[in-house]
Amino acid sequence: MDATPTAELTSTPGQHVVEPLQDGGGGDGTSRRPHPLIGIHLCGSTALVWRTADVKAAREAGVVGSLVGALPRQPRQNGRLGRPLQLGQEELRLLLEKQASGDDLESSAPNSDGEVQQAQTECYEEEQRSSFEAQSILALEERKSALLRAMGGAKQGGGTSQPDGGVSGRLEVLDQSFVFPRSAVAVQLRTARAGLSHCSDERTLLSAAQPGSSQRAPRSESRFQVFRDLRQRGYYITSAGKFGGDFLVYPGDPLRFHAHFIAVCVALDEQLPLVDVLAVARLGSNVKKTVLLCSPGGPAAPVHYTSLQWSGMV
Amino acid sequence: MNEVTEMTESTDTLCVDDVDDLFPHNWILHHPMYLRMQSLDVEDGAQVHAAFLVYMDLTEVRHWKDVSSLKCPELQVVLLEGREKEGAPMQSILPLPVHQYLNHKSVRTVLGRGFPVLLCVVASDSTLVYQRMTDGFVTPDPPAGQIQDHGRRQHRKRHQQH
Repeated sequence: MDATPTAELTSTPGQHVVEPLQDGGGGDGTSRRPHPLIGIHLCGSTALVWRTADVKAAREAGVVGSLVGALPRQPRQNGRLGRPLQLGQEELRLLLEKQASGDDLESSAPNSDGEVQQAQTECYEEEQRSSFEAQSILALEERKSALLRAMGGAKQGGGTSQPDGGVSGRLEVLDQSFVFPRSAVAVQLRTARAGLSHCSDERTLLSAAQPGSSQRAPRSESRFQVFRDLRQRGYYITSAGKFGGDFLVYPGDPLRFHAHFIAVCVALDEQLPLVDVLAVARLGSNVKKTVLLCSPGGPAAPVHYTSLQWSGMV
Repeated sequence: MNEVTEMTESTDTLCVDDVDDLFPHNWILHHPMYLRMQSLDVEDGAQVHAAFLVYMDLTEVRHWKDVSSLKCPELQVVLLEGREKEGAPMQSILPLPVHQYLNHKSVRTVLGRGFPVLLCVVASDSTLVYQRMTDGFVTPDPPAGQIQDHGRRQHRKRHQQH
């Protein structure tokens, strides 16, 4: 099933689970809750998402992140990376905000545990039953074809002419009397669900407190407000390290579109050296992106956006 | 014109004083538009000088129409307004010397006048750099030229070389 990928990051001793993992009913997402919880692990101050289902759920929530793990079959390259998905500070905050407001699963955890286990048991037994049926059918087919081969071989080799009626007769007998013993059933043991914090008491033990808002620098606060506002307008956002801005803003999923904007987050009264303004605008025009100056107005005020473009006046 | 011909005919050396009369070193200070800008009572002398240089560029080099200067009270700077051609929409120009700073709030103030805004940065050698500033999200122009999907042709070529 899901093989846990080898990662280059070393896990620090204090690896905490911030949110409970997704309570899949039958292991492979057979029971979908309306707001799936995304398991986020903190390694130091870096937020990581490990499970594929969680990465997918984060993408659907508009959080792109960046893959930082090595691929097990191609460890010596960094063109294509695998899980875990590393979340930026703003992405982490956005996901936590969403999950805090959306879900009340946390509060009903003690009751739902019993129900969840009940559902899980039923699901498991159902799976075993259907697996047994399928396997007995396949075993019967196997026996029949083996019989046919044996009959056919005997015919060719021995030369003794057995009447064709004998073959079909034997097949009928096989159909009626064939029993696939339970002890011969192949059972698949899933290893994907095993792991840290699968049990609820481990979860509560490992859940960590959120870094306090007082510790956040004012600049990261303004960055987050811009991030959240852009996300609400439906843009996808990734980090813009290559372009000297704060964010790269895409009109849709980054896999389908080129970025349209380089977002630079500044406070409304922050003094910018003019050469820097020119430099970032010139860079933007060279890579066919508009530079967006973003300033949050205040805690509840809208964010102001100004587009900078090269004038083309030589 | 006649004065000039006379000078070259009559002499040996060009009289420095005459040249000065024609092209005084401080001609800017006597220019009517500069005097007008001075009268706007903006303290920042460097900014006024920058505004004047932008004015000269717009009018004499780019031949813009209806260019005028005004004072922006909130920012305490000289702004210019003008049209690129006859009948074109009015635009605001914010001229600033390169060593100064700009904050987003000032930009919003100039945008608040309702015209398209050009920021013009003036270097110490009077190089001018213009930049467009617009409110909101302006989608960039798509890449020019035909975009052809070459498919696997590139990979095939490389394979042949081996």
